[in-house]
Amino acid sequence: MKHVWRLMLLATVIGMLVACTAAPAPEATGNVDTAPAADGVDRSKLSKELYFYNWTDYVDPQILADFEAEYGVKVILDTYDANEDMIAKVAAGGSGYDIAVPSDYAVQTMVSAGLVQELDLSLLPNLVHIEPTLLNKYFDEGNKYSVPYMYGISGIAYNKSVIEGTPDSWALIFEPTAMEKYAGKFSMLDDERESPGAALRYLGKSLNETDPEVLKQAQDILTTQKQYLAAYNSSDVNRKMSSGEYVMAHAWSGAAMQARNGLEGEFEGNPDIGFFIPKEGGMIWMDNMVILKDSPNAYTAHVFMNFVTRPAVSAQNTSYIGYLTPNKDAVPLLDQTVRDLYAEGFAPDAEVSKRLEWAVRNEKTAIFSDVWTAVKGE
Amino acid sequence: MTMRSELELPPAQQQLRRRQLRLLLAPGLFWLVFFFVIPLVIVLLYSFASPAPAGRGVIWDFSLESYSTLFSKELYVNAYWRSLVVGIQTTVVCLLLGYPLALAMVLAPPERRIVLLFLVLIPFWTNFLVRTYAWMLILSNNGIINAVLEMIGFAKQILYPSEFAVLIGLIYGNLPFMVLPLYASLARFDFTLMEAGSDLGANGWWRFWRIMFPLTLPGVVAGAVLVFIPTVGQFVVSDLLGGAKVDLLGNLLQRLFTRSNPPNWPLGSAMAVVFMALVTLVVIIYFRATTEDDR
Amino acid sequence: MIDFSTSTKVVPDSGRHTLGRRLLDVHAWLVYVFLYAPIIILVIFSFTQDGFGVRWTGFTLKWYQRLFDDDRMMAAALNTLWVALLATIISTILGTLLALAMERYRFRGRAGLDALLYLPIVIPEIVMALALLAFFSFSFGIVESLVGVKLRMNIWTVIFSHVAFCVSFVVVVVRASLKGFDSRLEEAAADLGADPTTTFWRVTLPLIMPGVIGGALLAFTLSLDDFIISFFTIGPGTNLLPIEVYGRVKRAITPQINAISTLMLLLSMLLVFLSQFVQRRSA
Repeated sequence: MKHVWRLMLLATVIGMLVACTAAPAPEATGNVDTAPAADGVDRSKLSKELYFYNWTDYVDPQILADFEAEYGVKVILDTYDANEDMIAKVAAGGSGYDIAVPSDYAVQTMVSAGLVQELDLSLLPNLVHIEPTLLNKYFDEGNKYSVPYMYGISGIAYNKSVIEGTPDSWALIFEPTAMEKYAGKFSMLDDERESPGAALRYLGKSLNETDPEVLKQAQDILTTQKQYLAAYNSSDVNRKMSSGEYVMAHAWSGAAMQARNGLEGEFEGNPDIGFFIPKEGGMIWMDNMVILKDSPNAYTAHVFMNFVTRPAVSAQNTSYIGYLTPNKDAVPLLDQTVRDLYAEGFAPDAEVSKRLEWAVRNEKTAIFSDVWTAVKGE
Repeated sequence: MTMRSELELPPAQQQLRRRQLRLLLAPGLFWLVFFFVIPLVIVLLYSFASPAPAGRGVIWDFSLESYSTLFSKELYVNAYWRSLVVGIQTTVVCLLLGYPLALAMVLAPPERRIVLLFLVLIPFWTNFLVRTYAWMLILSNNGIINAVLEMIGFAKQILYPSEFAVLIGLIYGNLPFMVLPLYASLARFDFTLMEAGSDLGANGWWRFWRIMFPLTLPGVVAGAVLVFIPTVGQFVVSDLLGGAKVDLLGNLLQRLFTRSNPPNWPLGSAMAVVFMALVTLVVIIYFRATTEDDR
Repeated sequence: MIDFSTSTKVVPDSGRHTLGRRLLDVHAWLVYVFLYAPIIILVIFSFTQDGFGVRWTGFTLKWYQRLFDDDRMMAAALNTLWVALLATIISTILGTLLALAMERYRFRGRAGLDALLYLPIVIPEIVMALALLAFFSFSFGIVESLVGVKLRMNIWTVIFSHVAFCVSFVVVVVRASLKGFDSRLEEAAADLGADPTTTFWRVTLPLIMPGVIGGALLAFTLSLDDFIISFFTIGPGTNLLPIEVYGRVKRAITPQINAISTLMLLLSMLLVFLSQFVQRRSA
């Protein structure tokens, strides 16, 4: 019995030692005497490590390496698949992350929950490169807390060799004859705002509509569609479209791009993939970098965010990820093939932009949770 | 095993036993209270709160709204019902598959029994998600089963994603939890009773139903409980194999806690509390059923 | 209740070749095929050249090579084993102690504790995961205000959480093996002058060892594959295999994942054969 106690004590002591030594190295207190370099960065204030909490497959590892090469800061990346997962971890406190990448509405949630720090805009000169129409959005006026990272639009990806003509409407995936024809070969996004939103736009309404009668109509459209659907899929539409398993899908533009171009080392692209925003309209969303309230490395975080917003860096990141860069000066630096695809419909032009809508979230929109539960439960 | 009556021992010995008892209970109890009971109490408290508009956290007012929503709105009642049905289906099939298997294992020569037991467990030391993915491959349109069907001349079936695929995945994942208790129960079964039965002229079926099954009932009930309860609460299999179209209790809970916007912790907590209450009821029934058979 | 001891009961050998027994054996074989079909597919497709991992397009070892270059995945695998090992050890010790207490002593609240022990088996994992998250953040806040040390989620929060649900499973299994226990052996040892500690180590423990090992194996299995609870109780910089795989399975399933699963399978089988070997030596 004594042995057992001793073992337990030993285990506890070791455990506590490990836990304590696992704390991150905080920012250096100016023991290196390098004066601010030409780029305005005071290297003495940088920490050794930066904890970056980002979406899966949403940053080019090369730019993290480049950052380390230039500033000597190691960027440690962890990933998540949903805003809510990230917020849950961060809100619990002590997460240890410095930067997170919430979507538009999530920025608002995090700000009102006191989870993010105010930005020191003097440390972010590269903000001038961001497309002005993407600054000052409803979720963060004045960009006090967030720096745009990537944005995207939701529409329909389709396989041109199977689906003839140039489809231009949500009817392609909601209309019974079309659905029957492609039964089991298409998907909708697994998201309580995206899919009901698509149905709402199909009905000619705003995707922020909260009138129960209208929502019931949208719900009916979705439940009718469900039997023909292969799946609700937000995760590997790119692969399924590329391999031909799906002939069309409700998809994000980036996923469609990846289906077209392939993902390096993972799967090959399919040149027959096309993408469009239906004439009834679609959703636009944006992911933004924020600095978490309890991050001890705020200075380094600012430097990193500024680095990522350099046009060249942004262009490289965009080519890797496939989504759209909010950085107007990065666009000319992109590959010609990518720019051609943008022209083809994978990115919005001025015309398309007019029919894109942001999904707002507040107490009223909580009703979508019930709508979605009803659809899912069918 | 008889429990020594405390009163028979001299006082010094009684003291010693008390100390021993406390020593044995303390660490485990501490752990459970700290890392289990307290978190649960927090969940219970949440169920009586209201969802905060900003999404994170709750408003600490005492509100029964979550419970009233739960019992009044059809979609939530339906969620419980669906999950119940799936749970029962899974449990029954696991029993039908598992009982004969456990029996075959027990009837094997002693050296082989352990190996057979391990063989049942080993698949479960690979990653669960990858095993589920393997089922996706087997059941998919281009998968083995459809390939065979085509060869024989039948049309391809949509086996995945589907409710059928979810069932297969659930049965597959739960089989060892049924087999282990059944094996344990059967291993203690006195087969001479079966011989006695046949000597008296009873046929195989009669002997099974009237002798073997009742005496191995504790194993059956244990297996059923270990399969049914986690099945009703899971969400990964129904998500992956159902193409996110099959919505069970676990999926709903996951959404309410983590995907809804704003997340509705009070409603999710209320659902969890009701679920746990129902399940505790089942466990109590299990106790009644087995403590009587306690030898 | 449940007895896991492999006692050799009388099993009549007559009737070995009756139709009933034949059918039983066939059934057993079929179930094993059912159990191993996905595993075999998994292993085979870890060698396919097809990047989607769904078709056989030729043999290659490149996914294994990729795996060894994939630091993230390897670190995740090692962490997972480490966590499982520690969680198993702690929960086996605690669970065995609790089982002994439950089976050997009568005390007030025993029935209540009995019910409490079943709850971790019964509670939906997602609920437990979020409850634990809330609990840890609450505790860290208290620690910070008391001592000023800012703790954060780390590998120990995961381990402790795993122990919380593994303990119950260990208790169930060990209790089962205690049920068939012959206390006369212990009394004999006491009569011979052995004190409680010696009795425990030399007599009790060896006899309940099958139950303890069974419980440990169950705990190990549960911890190795746990996803929900791990996801919510893990800290930054640490990664666990199930979480890493889930992230990849949801978006890009390359045969690399088949490769790591095959390796883990081989490792488990190795452990099993080793334990068999060791047991035979010490028998």
